[in-house]
Amino acid sequence: MLEEEQVAFFLASRLITRGNKGTLLLTVTIIALVFVNLIFLPSIIAGVVILFNQQTIDFSYGNLVIEPRENELVITKADELQQKINRIPGVVASSPRYAGGSTIVYKGRSASPLLVAIKPSDEVQVLKTHTKVISGDFLTDADRGQIVIGRTLAGSADQKVDRVASLGGAEVGKTVEVTFRNGETRQYRVKGILYSGTSATDSNAFITRKEYESVMGVSDSANQILVKTQTTGNEDAMRITLMQYGVQEQVWTWEDKSADFLQSIVGSFAIINFISTIVSLIIAIVIIFIVIFINTVYRRKQIGILQAIGIDRSIIIKSYIFQALFICVCGTAAGCVLLLLMLQYLTASPLVFPGGPVAPVLELSLVLQAVGSLFVVSLIAGYVPSWLTTREEILSAIRG
Amino acid sequence: MIAGNSLFKIYGKGSVEVRALDGVDITISRGEFVGITGASGSGKSTLLHLLGLLDRPTSGSLRIDGVEVSALSEKERTAFRLNRLGYVFQDYALVPELTAEENIFLPSKVRGMTSKECTRACRDILSLVGLKDRVSFLPGEMSGGEQQRVAIARALINNPALILADEPCANLDTKNSIVILELLKKLNHDLRQTVVMVSHEEWHQRYFDRVVTLQDGKIISDIGT
Ligand SMILES: Nc1ncnc2c1ncn2[C@@H]1O[C@H](COP(=O)(O)OP(=O)(O)OP(=O)(O)O)[C@@H](O)[C@H]1O
Ligand SMILES: [Mg+2]
Repeated sequence: MLEEEQVAFFLASRLITRGNKGTLLLTVTIIALVFVNLIFLPSIIAGVVILFNQQTIDFSYGNLVIEPRENELVITKADELQQKINRIPGVVASSPRYAGGSTIVYKGRSASPLLVAIKPSDEVQVLKTHTKVISGDFLTDADRGQIVIGRTLAGSADQKVDRVASLGGAEVGKTVEVTFRNGETRQYRVKGILYSGTSATDSNAFITRKEYESVMGVSDSANQILVKTQTTGNEDAMRITLMQYGVQEQVWTWEDKSADFLQSIVGSFAIINFISTIVSLIIAIVIIFIVIFINTVYRRKQIGILQAIGIDRSIIIKSYIFQALFICVCGTAAGCVLLLLMLQYLTASPLVFPGGPVAPVLELSLVLQAVGSLFVVSLIAGYVPSWLTTREEILSAIRG
Repeated sequence: MIAGNSLFKIYGKGSVEVRALDGVDITISRGEFVGITGASGSGKSTLLHLLGLLDRPTSGSLRIDGVEVSALSEKERTAFRLNRLGYVFQDYALVPELTAEENIFLPSKVRGMTSKECTRACRDILSLVGLKDRVSFLPGEMSGGEQQRVAIARALINNPALILADEPCANLDTKNSIVILELLKKLNHDLRQTVVMVSHEEWHQRYFDRVVTLQDGKIISDIGT
């Protein structure tokens, strides 16, 4: 049997090396582009997903989020719970917060952001929001009468620039008026403005817990505790550990909390990606098919003669499969080179998404999948046309 | 060697029926050099196609080299062509991407000969057909006569029981035709190779041992010269 493959390979190699180089080059180029297309978009999407996930962890939720027990609105004895959580192995830090609605007015413009009350010294150990202050400073534990607002909330004087209700260009040092949920109104000096790239965070306002508690007349309470764990990725296990250590409040992972938002984005990306993959593969099938088909039709007579001198049909079919595989291998190789060049370029000048630069993430499984599907594509595209052509009566093939 | 009995090849049906072969009985012995001649459309190619297993008779029996070939499957017929027949076409029919040598050893490679054996056999045959110095020429780099000699070498490589040639000189001038005819004659004489050749040129007949003449699908004369 192996002799057949040898002869088929021999024939294929000669037909390729002594055949039309232009057509070969063109086909290989197209397959290379298809290969790049199969990998490039998904790897960008993977990069975006990773960026979004990291942002969710860094600026919104940490690794775990603890919320009040079911049917309760607040976590009472938040400080005690915080200390308990901090002692659990695997926990790095935690930050009790109180997040609630508010209305902020500045120069006659008003917005209703989420007002988050934090203890800055705890918050900085869990989130990285404090590193994203673009003007002024972040809060400190002792701050009273000071507020830090997100850039989206601060807005700009030119109303057309803002896509959402904003304070129309509140700046550091200016005074804003905040109305709390209990109806109390206070004046706050803007201490800092932050821009994290995470739209939720950038529309929030931050004050200290001390300040919040004095206004609201509460103490030692929170409605969420964000937890940072030593490793990212084992949140589900950590969640169970927390419960085993007797945390009776609801424990969520950042993935749970961001599910709706992120999953709908990832879901849409997956659909786009699926369509693009299918289209690419169909293009690849059609191209290789056409090339091999034209080739076999063009050599119809020759194929008839080969059969006439006793060369079995299967050898001829195999030789066309080999040619298709060769095109596929060259195309894939050229595609790899092209992809590496693109990746290199993108590392040097990355795509910037809200929240930071996105590095394409090249997953081996994805590459193997692309190589595998191109392989199958070329098997089909090599087999079908040569099968069709060799099925013809020898005599009618020879007559041309 | 060949025993064909009441061979019919009928194309079409009813009023448009064409009897390309109309009851041909033919026996050819080993070592004969047989010429088949006749007017255009008399059925010469049709007969050769049957002998070459490129086509099946509508009816009739055909034994070649002791095998009842009409009973063979398609795959067996392909193997039979490879192992026992050498077919030479009017237009040489070489693979343009293969060199002279590669064209010749292709059929022997299929039989599983090693590259070394192939190369040896090729060189021998190429010197037999007088093309020692054309080993690595592509068909496009050779004259028609040279290409036809390569085609004959290709037909010879597997040591066939029978060589069939359908107007091998039709595209050649007289000088080259003579070279081809002498080559076939030499193979027939020196190697005791059975050769059946179709030709409608009167002057070719002096090379044949025997001339079979067809007319409207029937043998009208069968003369040993
Ligand atoms: N596929 C076919 N369908 C219908 N008729 C055919 C077919 N092949 C051959 N014929 C007919 O059979 C007859 C014999 O044809 P054949 O090719 O054997 O003639 P020939 O003797 O080789 O002629 P030439 O000298 O021109 O090559 C012709 O009348 C031809 O029209
Ligand atoms: Mg003819």
